Amino acid sequence: MLKEFFNQETAPHATNVLVGKLGDILVRAVGKPLDYAINWGRIWSLWPVHLETACCSVEFGAASSPRYDVERFGIIEAFGSLRQCDLIVVMGTITRKMAPRLRMVYDQMPDPKYVIAMGACAITGGLYFDSYNVLPGIDGVLPVDIYVPGCPPRPETLIQGCMLLQEKIKRMKGA
Amino acid sequence: MATQLPPGIRLETVDDRIMTLNVGPQHPGSGHMRLIIKVDGDYIVSCDPDPGYVHRGEEKMAEYRNYIQNIPHLERPVIHDSSNILYPYCLAVEELLGIEVPERAKYIRVIAAELNRCIYILYWLAIYGIFLGHSTMFMWPAGDRELFIDLLEAMSGARVTHAYLVPGGVRNDLPANFEERCLRQVDYLEKRLKEYLAVFYKNPILISRTEGTGILSRTDAIRLGTTGSVLRASGVNFDIRKKEPYDVYENLDFETVVMKEGDSYARSYVPYLEMFESCRIIRDAIRKMPKSGSVRTKLKPNPKGGNDEVYKRVESGRGALGYYIVSNNRPEPYRVKISVGSFRNLICMPYLLKGELLGNMPAVYWSLNYWPVEADR
Repeated sequence: MLKEFFNQETAPHATNVLVGKLGDILVRAVGKPLDYAINWGRIWSLWPVHLETACCSVEFGAASSPRYDVERFGIIEAFGSLRQCDLIVVMGTITRKMAPRLRMVYDQMPDPKYVIAMGACAITGGLYFDSYNVLPGIDGVLPVDIYVPGCPPRPETLIQGCMLLQEKIKRMKGA
Repeated sequence: MATQLPPGIRLETVDDRIMTLNVGPQHPGSGHMRLIIKVDGDYIVSCDPDPGYVHRGEEKMAEYRNYIQNIPHLERPVIHDSSNILYPYCLAVEELLGIEVPERAKYIRVIAAELNRCIYILYWLAIYGIFLGHSTMFMWPAGDRELFIDLLEAMSGARVTHAYLVPGGVRNDLPANFEERCLRQVDYLEKRLKEYLAVFYKNPILISRTEGTGILSRTDAIRLGTTGSVLRASGVNFDIRKKEPYDVYENLDFETVVMKEGDSYARSYVPYLEMFESCRIIRDAIRKMPKSGSVRTKLKPNPKGGNDEVYKRVESGRGALGYYIVSNNRPEPYRVKISVGSFRNLICMPYLLKGELLGNMPAVYWSLNYWPVEADR
């Protein structure tokens, strides 16, 4: 029976199923401390994707300047590959040309991933609610975790949004 | 084989040596745009910029808002240079509606515009530094910029989107003790700029990456229609503040910065020298400004422009910035055309990048003083 169980031809994902079951048992046994440890690791190493979409990117730049310094909260403005990123800050207006690219970038990021909608344009379309080329908010494109209001939001507001996201991750299911 | 292709479609021969790279929109070196770059080994064969990712239809939106309601969304394309992008709009609407601006308001406008130019250039310098891998040059200007933002925040109440300039003057008077505070910050900036020179502009790595790359000759600069610091770095003495002075620029003491080389180094050095001139203008304007008086001519509610058209332009941080407004006896403009410096300077990019090393692409690209959001409008 065990031989049948491990026979890849009859049950192609049997090994994966076994590993997954073991993981479930581990989670059930260890429970909350494991969740806590995994989430603790996640909240202090949030790497945002470097995708500038509109003018809010000026304030995102200001948030990592010496006066505000968002890095002390564990948000690193990195210039690396988006395959290493787990946070996407949508900096403002999403136009019809940018929306498919935004989704493409989001799909390429590994799980778990979090989304911050920064600025009035990303939330509802903002000042450009009646423009022919602007989406009325990004929640039709991406699942948004945190909304940061303002036009543009001050760097303090963005930092508060990041801290709220960290609070939210703490309450999420870890594994 | 000889199938008829649909009109507008042509076949391109594929060369194994040439590789096509898409730089952007998700790329640290591209900003809000895409560059389609063809490389042969490490050398760029051709470059095709693809802007338009932030096209928000500002010009169309301006057609169904009246002259005052247009102010907030017209400053959004360059929120870190918002006084300069509103300046030509205010000048044009004033001419259209026949409004006189008080003398004190003209000086306050010049001070706001020059402070904003410093904010813009410092932000641009920070971005230029970080894309050349010089982290100190991101931190220093980004930190010094906040002091000027504080000044404009005290003047207008908002951090970056001031909406401070309005048709008929400025929105409110200067705060108490503004003059001393402003002069102190200007002195501080001039002291810091000398340190920038030692750390950044005399850095041998920067010089090796920018000197002699992306050379734009004087004739090409004129032929391609570039403006602003790109034009002045190629040896053309053209500054709208000098050639077509608006408001009180003719009374103020400053010089146009011109360099002859036309390479990336000169293009990045001209804005740096312009900050010294901005400091001179601010000092002079504070000295010559009337100490009291009205700062705003009140408009009637829903003012109507005549059956007329105006074109006004100013020198912004990126070059000539003009507004062409057509009016047809209604409270809303019939047509607003914004002519921006960024888009004009983008045109010369394919010429500059041909034959360059791929690694020098950010150095050439950001030296063009290009801000994609403004170019797309």
